[in-house]
Amino acid sequence: MADTMATAGAGSSGTRSGGKQSTNPADNYHLARRRTLQVVVSSLLTEAGFESAEKASVETLTEMLQSYISEIGRSAKSYCEHTARTQPTLSDIVVTLVEMGFNVDTLPAYAKRSQRMVITAPPVTNQPVTPKALTAGQNRPHPPHIPSHFPEFPDPHTYIKTPTYREPVSDYQVLREKAASQRRDVERALTRFMAKTGETQSLFKDDVSTFPLIAARPFTIPYLTALLPSELEMQQMEETDSSEQDEQTDTENLPLHISTDDSGAEKENTSVLQQNSSLTGSRNGEESLIDNPYLRPVKKPKIRRKKSLS
Amino acid sequence: MPPTGLEPARMNRKKGDKGFESPRPYKLTHQVVCINNINFQRKSVVGFVELTIFPTVANLNRIKLNSKQCRIYRVRINDLEAAFIYNDPTLEVCHNESKQRNLNYFSNAYAAAVSAVDPDAGNGELCIKVPSELWKHVDELKVLKIHINFSLDQPKGGLHFVVPSVEGSMAERGAHVFSCGYQNSTRFWFPCVDSYSELCTWKLEFTVDAAMVAVSNGDLVETVYTHDMRKKTFHYMLTIPTAASNIALAIGPFEILVDPYMHEVTHFCLPQLLPLLKHTTSYLHEVFEFYEEILTCRYPYSCFKTVFIDEAYVEVAAYASMSIFSTNLLHSAMIIDETPLTRRCLAQSLAQQFFGCFISRMSWSDEWVLKGISGYIYGLWMKKTFGVNEYRHWIKEELDKIVAYELKTGGVLLHPIFGGGKEKDNPASHLYFSIKHPHTLSWEYYTMFQCKAHLVMRLIENRISMEFMLQVFNKLLSLASTASSQKFQSHMWSQMLVSTFGFLKSISNVSGKDIQPLIKQWVDQSGVVKFYGSFAFNRKRNVLELEIKQDYTSPGTQKYVGPLKVTVQELDGSFNHTLQIEENSLKHDIPCHSKSRRNKKKKIPLMNGEEVDMDLSAMDADSPLLWIRIDPDMSVLRKVEFEQADFMWQYQLRYERDVVAQQESILALEKFPTPASRLALTDILEQEQCFYRVRMSACFCLAKIANSMVSTWTGPPAMKSLFTRMFCCKTCPNIVKTNNFMSFQSYFLQKTMPVAMALLRDVHNLCPKEVLTFILDLIKYNDNRKNKFSDNYYRAEMIDALANSVTPAVSVNNEVRTLDNLNPDVRLILEEITRFLNMEKLLPSYRHTITVSCLRAIRVLQKNGHVPSDPTLFKSYAEYGHFVDIRIAALEAVVDYTKVDRSYEELQWLLNMIQNDPVPYVRHKILHMLTKNPPFTKNMESPLCNEALVDQLWKLMNSGTSHDWRLRCGAVDLYFTLFGLSRPSCLPLPELGLVLNLKEKKAVLNPTIIPEVITGNQETAINPSGHAQLVGFQNPFSSSQDEEEIDMDTVHDSQAFISHHLNMLERPSTPGLSKYRPASSRALMPQHSPGGDGTPLTKPQWGMELARKGTGIHLGVFNLEGKEQSPLEMSMHPVATAPLSVFSKESTSSKHSDHHHHHHHEHKKKKKKHKHKHKHKHKHESKEKDKEPFTFSSPASGRSIRSPSLSD
Repeated sequence: MADTMATAGAGSSGTRSGGKQSTNPADNYHLARRRTLQVVVSSLLTEAGFESAEKASVETLTEMLQSYISEIGRSAKSYCEHTARTQPTLSDIVVTLVEMGFNVDTLPAYAKRSQRMVITAPPVTNQPVTPKALTAGQNRPHPPHIPSHFPEFPDPHTYIKTPTYREPVSDYQVLREKAASQRRDVERALTRFMAKTGETQSLFKDDVSTFPLIAARPFTIPYLTALLPSELEMQQMEETDSSEQDEQTDTENLPLHISTDDSGAEKENTSVLQQNSSLTGSRNGEESLIDNPYLRPVKKPKIRRKKSLS
Repeated sequence: MPPTGLEPARMNRKKGDKGFESPRPYKLTHQVVCINNINFQRKSVVGFVELTIFPTVANLNRIKLNSKQCRIYRVRINDLEAAFIYNDPTLEVCHNESKQRNLNYFSNAYAAAVSAVDPDAGNGELCIKVPSELWKHVDELKVLKIHINFSLDQPKGGLHFVVPSVEGSMAERGAHVFSCGYQNSTRFWFPCVDSYSELCTWKLEFTVDAAMVAVSNGDLVETVYTHDMRKKTFHYMLTIPTAASNIALAIGPFEILVDPYMHEVTHFCLPQLLPLLKHTTSYLHEVFEFYEEILTCRYPYSCFKTVFIDEAYVEVAAYASMSIFSTNLLHSAMIIDETPLTRRCLAQSLAQQFFGCFISRMSWSDEWVLKGISGYIYGLWMKKTFGVNEYRHWIKEELDKIVAYELKTGGVLLHPIFGGGKEKDNPASHLYFSIKHPHTLSWEYYTMFQCKAHLVMRLIENRISMEFMLQVFNKLLSLASTASSQKFQSHMWSQMLVSTFGFLKSISNVSGKDIQPLIKQWVDQSGVVKFYGSFAFNRKRNVLELEIKQDYTSPGTQKYVGPLKVTVQELDGSFNHTLQIEENSLKHDIPCHSKSRRNKKKKIPLMNGEEVDMDLSAMDADSPLLWIRIDPDMSVLRKVEFEQADFMWQYQLRYERDVVAQQESILALEKFPTPASRLALTDILEQEQCFYRVRMSACFCLAKIANSMVSTWTGPPAMKSLFTRMFCCKTCPNIVKTNNFMSFQSYFLQKTMPVAMALLRDVHNLCPKEVLTFILDLIKYNDNRKNKFSDNYYRAEMIDALANSVTPAVSVNNEVRTLDNLNPDVRLILEEITRFLNMEKLLPSYRHTITVSCLRAIRVLQKNGHVPSDPTLFKSYAEYGHFVDIRIAALEAVVDYTKVDRSYEELQWLLNMIQNDPVPYVRHKILHMLTKNPPFTKNMESPLCNEALVDQLWKLMNSGTSHDWRLRCGAVDLYFTLFGLSRPSCLPLPELGLVLNLKEKKAVLNPTIIPEVITGNQETAINPSGHAQLVGFQNPFSSSQDEEEIDMDTVHDSQAFISHHLNMLERPSTPGLSKYRPASSRALMPQHSPGGDGTPLTKPQWGMELARKGTGIHLGVFNLEGKEQSPLEMSMHPVATAPLSVFSKESTSSKHSDHHHHHHHEHKKKKKKHKHKHKHKHKHESKEKDKEPFTFSSPASGRSIRSPSLSD
């Protein structure tokens, strides 16, 4: 009985196929269940004192029983899942039955009634042999800190890693070879790409693709690209000789370019600056600061310039 | 030939230390230059100048100044309007109508044209008439202020605008402008006395955009905003008297760097380049210290500025207190090769600050002193900075250069003296250009001139010791600096001018030695010495019999008489012998010290005291001689060809410590391809202590020897195992180590060795496969990631090596070159080149060295027939907008193509570029390259040589290049190379027809001068071809020419005669004309003063005078036919604005009266001396009446005047 219920409760999860051959294993299963249920209904009817019953009524009762058991199964599953389990326990069933308005206390007495009929168990078909999953090596026994009831370790191949180290390439020659060919490949690919996407020149009239030369394009300011080191080189350079450079001059340069804009700030300075220039006029530029005429701020025009067109 | 400013120098040497006599009738004291508007868009400049002058003669009535290109609006003298005339015969040297095409004719005409405006002869393009109101003022010799308003529109020379065509304001675009030119070229951008001998103080003002900086000479006094605050004015004061030719200007959005070591030194560069500028100039203070120390003299100016600009005319240009450099000299700390070059440029410019800018010269013939001293002290700096080896190597290089040049062209004369006007006195008759003016000199000649000058200074040092030499320099400098602080009135300024005489006097005062013979040999005379030496050892007498022969008959050579040092290395040591080279003694016996004792194991002492073990097995058992050197100290400008046995050269290479000796022996060993030579060279290559340049040349010698020994050569290709040992990994010898260029010596060797190896050839005359693979591997495994320095030069040399490995393709009956029949080796090479060239587009290398090498390599492939010969690629790289080095390399390829393929189209393309390229340096360079690698030469038949080309080139040098002296002389060089001195062979001989035509014309026009026409014709009869024998100004160039001249003379003379009379009327107050004339004529024509010197020069002087007159006529001619002459347009007479001037009245009647004044002086003088001449004039006068308007003229007439014999 419990078996049946469990089967019913599991719904279509069963894989049990009937002994009879049918077109479909699911149909087979369905038919077998119905048959068992009919037997149960029939015996209950017999127990209740019926001599015979119409087929239709037996069918109806079977249907009802099935629904009932299904409901119990469904409900019990919900309860069990609710408590984060996968398998229903007795209490789940009890709660279900209580919920469905069934007096659970009467159940033991009913089960132990004297006149009950015993139905033979349905024929058990052979469990299909699930093909043994690939096993590689011995399953490991549990280490001592793991209780023995815990599931066994899966097959070793599922968790054991076997790192495969190739011998690291430490051969200088190979490294250099590799670096060289890599760079060459990159360069070639890059230049070919550039050549394909842009205008090209060729040394051969009949063939423009074997040795494509990226077309010469004039620059507006040619000396910049020719003289300035690339950004990469620039970085390197700064690292190496930042100490040599005079940071003073860097800051000293600023005033001139700034001064072209901020004429307001100069106003107050003008008188001081004029003094300065008179000092240098007499070639006496020994001051603590760098006194270079190009660093001095630009003067505001005098209202009356004497140096204008004479 | 008209005497020039060279005259005063000669005078000085004769008269003694009389100081400088100005060729001008006035003295300039101060000049203001104010440029108040610079328009970068239109490339124009507007401004004014104001010259303060003191007349030195009473009746000064015209002032000649120099000015070219400038449009002059207005001239005022002491606020009075002054009439002026602008006249530049150098614009078009020979007149269009002349069909003369011979170079002699041109050169003479050109020299005369330059003389006619030469400030050192008191001439100038701009002639200003002193208003009559000021005559009294002038007679009292009071100050005159000449105020000239001028503008400059799209200048083609003198000022160079660089305006990149990008978005943004001019400052953002990096637009800049700077002054440039060859020798005295200041007249191109403002009116001045463009002479190195006219010193004055300066006030310079430049109003520029607020974002720009104007850098000029002297102290920046202040910078002031204009009223609208959008511009600012830079005010400069230069209180040290300076020649106009040393004035410069650079304006641009420069970044400013104050030198951290010397705050009075400021550096300028274009935007974004500041980091490079910092690095590049970080060394300059050391150069300053060096010069100041050796000269024991402070830097003469109170400040110094360096400006780095793009599209530079020359790499280095020194001006008073500032130098202008090419921006391409800037470099970062990662660049090895450029660093010494740039430092040399800096040092060179600084040396010229002392001698050249601060101390100027009296005349052109004293130029050698300045160039010599600055070159010499620069050499001392080299010696200190780069070491004695480098210095000696450089001296040797310079010596070889000058020797080669002089032997090729026939001599470089440092101190030309021009006596009289006779052609035979011309000291440079072997040349196709005149050396009387810097502006007529070939650029190459001038370069060699400078080279010789410093070598001669070194010879003087050898004679008088360096200590005295430096004392002399110090004396010159201290005299000059005393003078510079004096007022003008003290007449001390001429102390700042150096003359040959003054310099030599200084030397004799300081050292007490007579160096006259040395000067006579090397300075007053051109040519070098050519020695041939050989020897024999006389065992019996134990004497070395040395035979030294000289070749002094070939062009460019001279005879040497005097001491000659010979060093003999014997087993017992090294011994110096001084031989006396005399007229007839060829053999010299030198006693040897040691018997041959080779068996004694004894170390052999060398010259420097070192004692070394030698393997003496190679030497001759009987002789104790190891090697012999002639003139080891290079104390003669000579070429030595010395014969000694191969083992002697090998000993010399191994054991002589002097790098020059090593170099010489390497050169000699090329002729001895033996295993012993191979060993000696390999040993030198490996020797770390050996000077790297010697090792580098050993590489190339070894390659040559290996090729000569190809059949017997054993082992791997030359240098391969050596290279492997030095630069490849120990474990895998086919892979080169990752780059580490910390040791520059091995860096240079590493660069050079593959280049030399690629020259190796196997028995089939192909580059061995092994070598090519080796080079390709070097390229493949090149790894610069861990290097502190850039490897761009190294990679470039690897491409050069690839190019060197290319051998001519085996071609079957001129098949077309296609990809399919490409040689597999060449395919590999081409692949590398393609990749390198393409990578350059993405990651450009410093100065695009790799692109340059790739272009050269491609041309090599084309030339060897592997790749179809085609100039299109090069032409695209030659376009404006590429980096200049790339352009030059590409142009070189096009020039080569033009020659090889005889392409008229490409030649035209090049010529077009010469005329139109925006960069003057490129234009100059094309001409130079065409001259070096000409498409054809004068003795060659070529389809390119046709009349159109002759006309084109003629036009180019005649008028197309008047804005750039260097370019014009370059065009002359090319013309000479292509066609030679005489009339190009491809031209028909049209003279006769021409004569007839002209004669007909003339016969109609002037019947009065028929006798002269006949004279002309007679001459034609005598000299039918006209040019073959004509050499000088006195000879007529051709009959047609002669006729033109006569005609011109007469026309003009008669006009002059009229104006003469007018002039007399005009200024009746001048008392005693004949009495006063000599004074004024001396002022105008300095050549007369030497005549009064006691030298009996009557006849030549007459000749000179005629020639002089001719020049005057020449000037006049331009006026007469000035319709399409731009100068005349420029010279706008302020007729209307000067109503009171008598002169202006005159000018309404005859625009050219100014000139006639000029002639009028001359005529008067002639009248005095030669009466018959006067009579002649009257004839002309009458003729003049029926000949008007003047339809034609020839400026050339100026040069071929009737010879003295004719007029007598």
